[in-house]
Amino acid sequence: MTGMTAVVQAEGLTKYYGRRRGLEDLTLDIQPGEIFGYLGPNGAGKTTTIRLLLDVIRPTSGQVRVLGADSREAAVRARIGYLPGELVLEGRERARDYLEFLGRTRGGVPPGRVAQLAERLDADLSVPMRKLSKGNRQKVGLIQAFMHEPELLILDEPTGGLDPLVQQEFLAMVREVRASGRTVLMSSHVLAEVEHVSDRVGIVRAGRLVAVENVATLREKAVRRVELHFDAPVPREAFEGLPGVRDLRVEGASVRCTIDGRPDPLIKAAARFTVVHMVSAEPDLEEIFLTYYSEEGRNHDLQVSS
Amino acid sequence: MISKSLRDHRRALIGWVIGLSAFLSMYVGVVYPSIVEDPATYSAQAVAKYPGALKDLMGGLQDFATAPGYLQTVVYQILLPVLFIVCAMVLANRSLAGPEESGTFELIVTLPIDRRRLVLQLFAAMALGLLAVAAVTLAVAWALARSVDMDVRFDRIMAAHIGVYLLALFFGTLTLAVGAATGRKAVASAVLGVWAVLGYMVVTVGKNVDAVSWLKWVSPFHYYAEGRPLYEGLPVGDYLVLAGAVAVLALTAVLSFDRRDVGV
Ligand SMILES: Nc1ncnc2c1ncn2[C@@H]1O[C@H](COP(=O)(O)OP(=O)(O)OP(=O)(O)O)[C@@H](O)[C@H]1O
Ligand SMILES: [Mg+2]
Repeated sequence: MTGMTAVVQAEGLTKYYGRRRGLEDLTLDIQPGEIFGYLGPNGAGKTTTIRLLLDVIRPTSGQVRVLGADSREAAVRARIGYLPGELVLEGRERARDYLEFLGRTRGGVPPGRVAQLAERLDADLSVPMRKLSKGNRQKVGLIQAFMHEPELLILDEPTGGLDPLVQQEFLAMVREVRASGRTVLMSSHVLAEVEHVSDRVGIVRAGRLVAVENVATLREKAVRRVELHFDAPVPREAFEGLPGVRDLRVEGASVRCTIDGRPDPLIKAAARFTVVHMVSAEPDLEEIFLTYYSEEGRNHDLQVSS
Repeated sequence: MISKSLRDHRRALIGWVIGLSAFLSMYVGVVYPSIVEDPATYSAQAVAKYPGALKDLMGGLQDFATAPGYLQTVVYQILLPVLFIVCAMVLANRSLAGPEESGTFELIVTLPIDRRRLVLQLFAAMALGLLAVAAVTLAVAWALARSVDMDVRFDRIMAAHIGVYLLALFFGTLTLAVGAATGRKAVASAVLGVWAVLGYMVVTVGKNVDAVSWLKWVSPFHYYAEGRPLYEGLPVGDYLVLAGAVAVLALTAVLSFDRRDVGV
């Protein structure tokens, strides 16, 4: 064990709904201050995991500890902010009054905090809850999850229904949470949605955690398309045989290639000439990730069938 | 949580108070005076209208024209209890199984409130809500009885009203318990319906049928009406049985909800 206790500790966590598998043998630690992206296709087991962490449903076997306590302990939930995957808000009550009730029950919210969050997300809290639009409902959900400044945020598909501008604002809020040393677990279907804020991502597939990767490592592994333009033609030899450089094409004063991992050798080689223009396409992590876990899945299927 | 739950019930509670008061006004304020004016016709009519078994089902229909007799057979025998029971069922389903089915319970069960405590608080809110309805309708019933010069003492009406309250609380808690155990409104309502209808049959038409009459011991109606509160005052023993049953059901609700998955 390292010095710090993990914020989420799951060991052999398994959930069956009758005979249907929800989650199988999940072992996972999430460290304080980290943002963990939890990815997987529909029906993979993301919501199941999250509801187990919050003690909404009970494991068939295995254990889970949250913030150092048994998930059955009610008091620990005051330190968690939870956004359900399918948030339902009903009734004539105004969103503001409902938030007030939730805040009070969780031990209080700093004054002005709700109004501030509502302004950032551009949410109207004076509407009766049953009349909220989908996006506004999601905003109310985010506000209630963030408002009491919990140590751990558990967000099940937080960006569903939000317009791009609000999504950006939400990601900024997540970064602020990390900056203050708190922890976030958020689920999503696509890596693109979480890669810019996540430190690590885990992939769950058919109830099993098939990969946990550092986003930085993933980025290093990523294939990147690079284009360099110089003020005069450059010799091909200067770029040949550089580690990680492939598909090299030198045409007069321009060089095109893909790089695998760090761009450092290429940059150093280019630095000997005068660079006038450079284009580097954002690596498609999604693509590597998908190939990565479809291979994992295939291996797994093979093992099962043999 | 109790006050929040009561606030959620507020509209329903007000609605039921208005409805029940209208019912009482009709039966005590309007129908009763016309019966008093011409008791013979009405008694005869009533007896003619409800022959044999049906008469048993209505609780006998004897002693129609005296004030306690009228209240007992027309108001407190079946109509008022049924309305109160439905009110209790509605409140109970709105407390737990309803929110669980709709999904609004997801955020409630993830509040830092122990599950057992949560159910107890929902139960308390339901019991208080029903009590409020009972208290207001008791005042209405008494005021109406006075206004038409009914010859009946307040403590007798109150004794009957307490019985209605306990009976409704019993069925409300039953609904809450089944809802807490299954999370399904329909199942909870069905259990209540079956228990209430059979329970009522057993103490009325089944009273003289040996094969089923012993079942009266599990019929809440037996403890409600057998002591004839409007004639004889508060049947303490019977009411304590009802209260004890409520406590057992509430405990069942608490324990069964604590054990299971929510919203699956
Ligand atoms: N209440 C339930 N009863 C039976 N099976 C369930 C229940 N909830 C989930 N499952 C099953 O468990 C598996 C995992 O579901 P889960 O909701 O955790 O997936 P998910 O990753 O959240 O999917 P999505 O991206 O669609 O939200 C699925 O096969 C699903 O059918
Ligand atoms: Mg889900």
